[in-house]
Amino acid sequence: MKEKALQVLLVEDNAGDARLLREMFSKEKPDSFELTHLLRMSEATVHLAKGGVDIVLLDMGLPDGHGLDTVRRAHAAAPSVPVIVLTGLDDEALAAEAMKEGAQDYLIKGQIENRALPRALRHAIERHRMQTETDLILTHQMQFKDEFLSHVSHELRSPMTAIYQFVTILLDRLAGELNPEQYEYLEIVLRNVKQLQSMINDLVEVTRVQEGKLTIDLQCTSVSDAIAYTVGTLQGAARGKGVTLSLDSSPLLPLAYADPTRIRQILIILVDNAIKFTPANGAVKVQARMLDEDPQFMVIEISDSGCGISPEMTERIFERLYQVPENGQAGRKGLGLGLYICKELVTRQAGRIWVMSSPQGSIFSFTLPVFSLAHAISPLLKNREWPSDSVALVTIEVGSPDGLLSKETREEWSREIRNLLQRCVIPDLDVLLPKMGPGGRGELFQVVAFADEKGVTVLTKRIREQFQRLNHSRGPGFTCSTSYRLLEPAQAKADVSIEDLANEMAARIENLIKSEKSGRTVSYGQ
Amino acid sequence: MANKKILIVEDDPDVRQGLSLRLRANGYDIFFAGDVVTSLIEARKHQPDLIILDLGLPAGDGFLVIERLKAAEALAAIPIIVVSARAGVANQERALAAGVKAFLQKPVDNGELLAVIQKTLGAPAQPGEPAHLSQPNRRRVLL
Repeated sequence: MKEKALQVLLVEDNAGDARLLREMFSKEKPDSFELTHLLRMSEATVHLAKGGVDIVLLDMGLPDGHGLDTVRRAHAAAPSVPVIVLTGLDDEALAAEAMKEGAQDYLIKGQIENRALPRALRHAIERHRMQTETDLILTHQMQFKDEFLSHVSHELRSPMTAIYQFVTILLDRLAGELNPEQYEYLEIVLRNVKQLQSMINDLVEVTRVQEGKLTIDLQCTSVSDAIAYTVGTLQGAARGKGVTLSLDSSPLLPLAYADPTRIRQILIILVDNAIKFTPANGAVKVQARMLDEDPQFMVIEISDSGCGISPEMTERIFERLYQVPENGQAGRKGLGLGLYICKELVTRQAGRIWVMSSPQGSIFSFTLPVFSLAHAISPLLKNREWPSDSVALVTIEVGSPDGLLSKETREEWSREIRNLLQRCVIPDLDVLLPKMGPGGRGELFQVVAFADEKGVTVLTKRIREQFQRLNHSRGPGFTCSTSYRLLEPAQAKADVSIEDLANEMAARIENLIKSEKSGRTVSYGQ
Repeated sequence: MANKKILIVEDDPDVRQGLSLRLRANGYDIFFAGDVVTSLIEARKHQPDLIILDLGLPAGDGFLVIERLKAAEALAAIPIIVVSARAGVANQERALAAGVKAFLQKPVDNGELLAVIQKTLGAPAQPGEPAHLSQPNRRRVLL
């Protein structure tokens, strides 16, 4: 069978070099290569975009393109066509860079032996084809794996449900009395069921990370509360293993700007791991303090007296599916997903996570940004005439529709309301504050507005209209009431920096929030 | 006072049995259905006070059940709680928009399920503590 001629595109502006290469091709079997010779990059990209080229021989010094740029442009014009770069003798370093950019090979001008050229071309094409196939297979594998994870974790839930139900039925003696041994063994079953459940939850969580569906609801939140919650939740597990679990968080620790649910999730994973890897009579401690190097962050540390992690593992331990190799320690491994999830969650909240380890134990640390009201309002203070401008704190209380919503749905609605309010405020004049912790029965939202009484009326009217529209489109549901307080005008001071001003205003707004009794309330509902 | 009636719509027989044992122990009368059509027949026959609904059902799904229940005058007012293995905000939103009272993910904790049922029904089925206390330090005998 006669082979189809390979379509070679030569992009070379030096007539001498081009002639040499042409001559090499002319010595090959007729019809085995068909050469197109162009002088400029601009012509080459047009030609490549038309298609039909099998391989490009590319000079890296053209009148309208130089160095790695030529390789990038060739790739952009025809991503699936392999490129061989032509370089001078003193340019091998550049050639190596070109290979990193995706060139298949390089040839040094003046050093090309006759028979080497066709071989280099054929090999480059073959390598490129194999590479493309491998990439495709990898992409399919990743897709398949994610779908598989999602499917499996879903399907595992039903049998898990049945096991959980019947074990708890036995434990609660709904099916008759148990002797102490039977009770103890069933408790072991239940403990393992819960472990399996948490693994399934990890799988689902990782699938969400992969699909970009992980939600983070940033707000003002107490890290100390999250630590107390976690230590309380895992105290039983620690006691069961003979491990002392304690906490030490400064009462002066400021609020963080983070997602409280996610902080608890991170802490549970880290503390649970620490307990798992600490032998009996050991200790696990959770601490939180301000980060010395940067006062805009706090750091939370989980230290254990376990066997430690070897230095080469400390980086890799946060990778997906990474498991510390057998270390002779009793106990079973997890899926190797927990720390990966932690890293994703911390990073998405603008923090960092790392581990330091010695044979006496490990310390896992992660940072979270500190919430600063002054920081939030300072953009408003630029170009503002203070104190002549009037400032108001507007509070919007939203009652959620009836029904017992799952936490996820409630968060979803809270986000929706935030988006709605965000549309009502004017970016240069108002700041929608992050959630400041649980409100009364409904959810509280607060806006700092550079507005006088009239301005506030306009703003609250806009908000109420938006709510009416929302309720109209999804049926009756949200109730909304607004109230506001005007900040008392400050004394005029010359040469006050924006930073000082922001701090002073923040302090006054914080006082207002604390003393939030009743402003002038306008309600509407149902 | 007569016991409150709960219809469990669930195609997995083990989950169904486990759920009904738990709920009977808490003083509810239980009926079952394992598919869309049976669930509507049983709902008409027994007029339950509450329906616990799985979303994955043979021949149709839980959403179809919700739709049919809400379309039937005699059944539209019965509160529905979804207990499903299907995760995701989209499913929750869809179910709640269709008029479901609560959405719980499998495997649901006994305590949570009973609390939601009680809240939905408005009052505890029986006075005293609910029977859902399989927690390490709280051994108790029921009944």
